[in-house]
Amino acid sequence: MIKIENLTKSYKTPTGRHYVFKDLHVDLPSNKSVALIGRNGAGKSTLLRVIGGIDRPDSGRIITNKTISWPVGLAGGFQGSLTGRENVKFVARLYATKDELKEKVAFVEDFAELGKYFDMPIKTYSSGMKSRLGFGLSMAFGFDYYLVDEVTAVGDARFKQKCADLFRARHEQASFLMVSHSLKSLVEFCDVALFIGRNNKVAFYDSVEEAIEIYKSDEGI
Amino acid sequence: MARSGLEVQKAAVKALFLREIKTRFGKFRLGYLWAALEPSAHVLIMLAIFGYVMHRTMPDISFPVFLINGIIPFFLFSNISNRSIGAIEANQGLFNYRPVRPIDTMIARALLETLIYAVVYVLLMTIVGLMGEIFEVTKVITLILVWFFLVIFSCGIGLIFMVVGKTFPETEKFLPILIKPLYFFSCIMFSLHNLPKEYWPYLLWNPIVHVVELCRESVVPGYISEGVSLNYLALCALITFFIGLALYRNREEAMLTS
Repeated sequence: MIKIENLTKSYKTPTGRHYVFKDLHVDLPSNKSVALIGRNGAGKSTLLRVIGGIDRPDSGRIITNKTISWPVGLAGGFQGSLTGRENVKFVARLYATKDELKEKVAFVEDFAELGKYFDMPIKTYSSGMKSRLGFGLSMAFGFDYYLVDEVTAVGDARFKQKCADLFRARHEQASFLMVSHSLKSLVEFCDVALFIGRNNKVAFYDSVEEAIEIYKSDEGI
Repeated sequence: MARSGLEVQKAAVKALFLREIKTRFGKFRLGYLWAALEPSAHVLIMLAIFGYVMHRTMPDISFPVFLINGIIPFFLFSNISNRSIGAIEANQGLFNYRPVRPIDTMIARALLETLIYAVVYVLLMTIVGLMGEIFEVTKVITLILVWFFLVIFSCGIGLIFMVVGKTFPETEKFLPILIKPLYFFSCIMFSLHNLPKEYWPYLLWNPIVHVVELCRESVVPGYISEGVSLNYLALCALITFFIGLALYRNREEAMLTS
């Protein structure tokens, strides 16, 4: 379970503070995958990052005893001049014990299917290759919650299929916190939903379909 | 799965250390050797200019030994403190991984710089020793303590710079300028007793002067620098480090808030 208590988050803008959330209270039930639904700029990704502990709120707390991943497929932490293997090793050193290191690297190497590129600097990668590496890296570690921000569509058709299969398998043991504009994949992977409306009000729904209906009527589509 | 805070930090520092060393030297043919060669070359060029071209000599100490004991501690200090200034922006991507805290990036870098310069120091002292310069490491413990407090002091300044630079981004422009003039006020090119005694109090505020002169005292038995004290250096280092840690602890969350 993830408890969001009194959460306030704002950004400084040239015209004054812009509040994304004010005094937000939400309890996310255990073992349920959560879809975050809302228009562009509503604050879905911000909420995701705050829950993940990557960005900090102005005030309020996130209370949980679950492990939460970094955003799945993230490439921002990669060092361009290092090889794929070295970057994977770096993250594995952060999250895994020494004995698991080899196994994690082997998993990513096997999953990403980059061949000899795995030992070449990341700056030589195409964006598709980078996403493969990022996705494989996230999936190598077992978290209770995976943060997913628009990544279900990486790589070519065959790789997409592979990702979707792994996602479904992971869904058995872990939960997702998911942002996606593909409403279909939200319905497929999520059990409950948070809808962030026009006025930055956040509402919790027990069914993803219901939240999508509200979202559609709110947006007038 | 649950690890203690210390274990997480140890893992993070280790991972960052290895990442840093690979990023900086992994791409070259001689690899890690460059880590030592680069600063050695720098010091050797200074030695060539001042020692052999300008024929600078010192009465009671061999000039190369004199210069090595001045330049290397100063480089160590300026590298650790300067690199901390933009450290948060430079490592922003890494903070997506929760085990990584800003202070870890600084610790990893400080460890790496210390290792590099310790190797360079031993290497260069050995070389000038073989070339016939006279010195004798009589106070090993003092030497090690001086280096230890130098690193602590540099980390303290680094932490302060990291916090100030992030809190007031404008200062990132002039913080490095504060370090540069210290090069001339830290007894690197001259020794304390070259100067009239009435100027000493002004210079002795600077802990780097104590570092440099104490290093020279430790390796040359006849070289005595009145006025410098290990106690003063230790006090300065600990106070600076404490201020740095207090500022950091106070501002860590705010620095990670976008």
